[in-house]
Amino acid sequence: MTESKPILPKTAGFWTRPDSPKSVNAQNIFDYMDGAGELYVGYRFDHLEYYEYKAKSQEDILVEIYFMKTSDDAFGLLSLDWGGEPVDLSQSSQNNAKNVSTDMPRALYGEGLLRLWSDNIYARVMAYQETPESKQAVLALGHSISKDRRNPPRPDLLKNLPDSFEPNWELRRERASYFRSHLVLNSIYYLGQENMLDLDHTSEALTAPYQRKDSSGDKTRIQFLLVKHSNNERARSALAHFHRAYLPEHPLQTKPGYSGKMVNIFPIEDGWIGYKLQNNTIAFIFECPDHETARIIIDQI
Amino acid sequence: MSQKGKPLTRRDFLRGTLGATIGASVLGTKFMTAGGSAASKSLVTIVRDQSAMDSSNNVNANILKTMLDQTLIKFTGKNTANDAWLSLVKPEDTVGLVPTPHLNPTHQEVEDAVKSSLIDAGIPEGKILNAQGRSANPGACTALIGLPALKAHWLTGIGTVLKLYILYSGMPRNYHDENNAKLGEIWNLPSVRGKTRLVLVDALHPLCDKGPQPDPRYKWAYNGLIAGTDPVAVETVCLRIIMEKRKLMRGEPWPLSPPPLCVEAADKDYGLGTSNWNNIKVENYGWDEELLLG
Repeated sequence: MTESKPILPKTAGFWTRPDSPKSVNAQNIFDYMDGAGELYVGYRFDHLEYYEYKAKSQEDILVEIYFMKTSDDAFGLLSLDWGGEPVDLSQSSQNNAKNVSTDMPRALYGEGLLRLWSDNIYARVMAYQETPESKQAVLALGHSISKDRRNPPRPDLLKNLPDSFEPNWELRRERASYFRSHLVLNSIYYLGQENMLDLDHTSEALTAPYQRKDSSGDKTRIQFLLVKHSNNERARSALAHFHRAYLPEHPLQTKPGYSGKMVNIFPIEDGWIGYKLQNNTIAFIFECPDHETARIIIDQI
Repeated sequence: MSQKGKPLTRRDFLRGTLGATIGASVLGTKFMTAGGSAASKSLVTIVRDQSAMDSSNNVNANILKTMLDQTLIKFTGKNTANDAWLSLVKPEDTVGLVPTPHLNPTHQEVEDAVKSSLIDAGIPEGKILNAQGRSANPGACTALIGLPALKAHWLTGIGTVLKLYILYSGMPRNYHDENNAKLGEIWNLPSVRGKTRLVLVDALHPLCDKGPQPDPRYKWAYNGLIAGTDPVAVETVCLRIIMEKRKLMRGEPWPLSPPPLCVEAADKDYGLGTSNWNNIKVENYGWDEELLLG
């Protein structure tokens, strides 16, 4: 089921597709979408198939189905923007906006564009002109893409994303993103020019802001970043690289042969930065308002 | 853009060791405003008409023509659009039109209006070329008219004016992410340098989020044309509009990331124009709601 290709209807409302899709792989993705290809190859991309549905006197509907190597990668693409109207594509296409969880839904619709995660597929279905008819067709196509496919859970790494940190920091869940590339990280939270955390397809990462949950109107935020490498040695090496690039005044000091947990907190220009290295995972917090906050949060990670 | 070979980090912006234009886009601080004198200001015009597009975002060609004429007259100070064009290009020029091809492409109506207006001014149709794309040869043109569409970009922060000539490099991937700072060097290629007679930004239906693919939720009807001959000044105005729209849309800071290093680098490293807001004179005409100039 997970390996099967979705079967798209020949027609959706007024729109009709060609007999076969066009296919794009990692070698020619830049010909198809210019620099946007960097996003997809930043994840474990396999190939893309796309159709242009056409109708007389109507703007086209573009269906792009990205076949990723894992479900986690497809989730990651959707996680870059949780905005839009959550839709439940497991229900009939007439009924898909009812009783949908707003907590990291599997499909989101907004102004003609449907984005969805279905097992190892990330798909974009876009009507170039939104009308009631095109919306219905877009949702019907989304339903066809996800029909009879598995719904694997979110990446395990998200289990390390607390809903809150004591005493009063609340996760902005709608800003939580999962990725494997420093280009993607920089597009969410800019750290710097180089790949200072040694991210690649063997690693995984997530980032999200936390905001004070008191009613004072204080919009102070901290940024949480979690990086998991394929092994402990790579994580330790990445942390050393981070120190050289981001904290050059604080060279990483470790005793030869030491392989245990490492915790540090430093003041920098926008507050306090803290991290904890444990095994193959490094958790960072940025922009903490004071040392005590950084310490309390690090202790909870 | 780096400091003595050291790659830039977020901390460089926080320290203020880089220019304020970039800092403003990354951290929400103020745009650079120090210095500047009236005599040396770069003029950027904004002409808007609320009816330039209908409710389905179809462009009204007649209104667009009027906006283009007004842009040309106001920018050059000439009495007619024909005279305005002839102060920018000559009938013997081979004029390359350079629209934005991807993400939020330039409206065909804008290209058509410019071409038609140039022909009316006496530029032979056969000497007006589309000079965009990997196979385009800017060396064959003696004048270039930049026709970018207003948009943010996920690899360069902003992807409007300075990114417009990226395909002339033959290596567009070399200018993504941190290397977007080098975009200015393309404007100094021998086949390009000094040829840009006007930058006319299609700001009818801009895109304020970076993509990488178009998301209609982040497009809005600005219904404007933005023009200037200083590409950096025009880009700086575009950047401010994008930043203001993002703030308005989310009601909270929504920095552009990665930072558009190219804007200040085009000023400081490549000498293409000014990114200092105090050195830019913005004149706006027509519809003035949500101008988004801060």
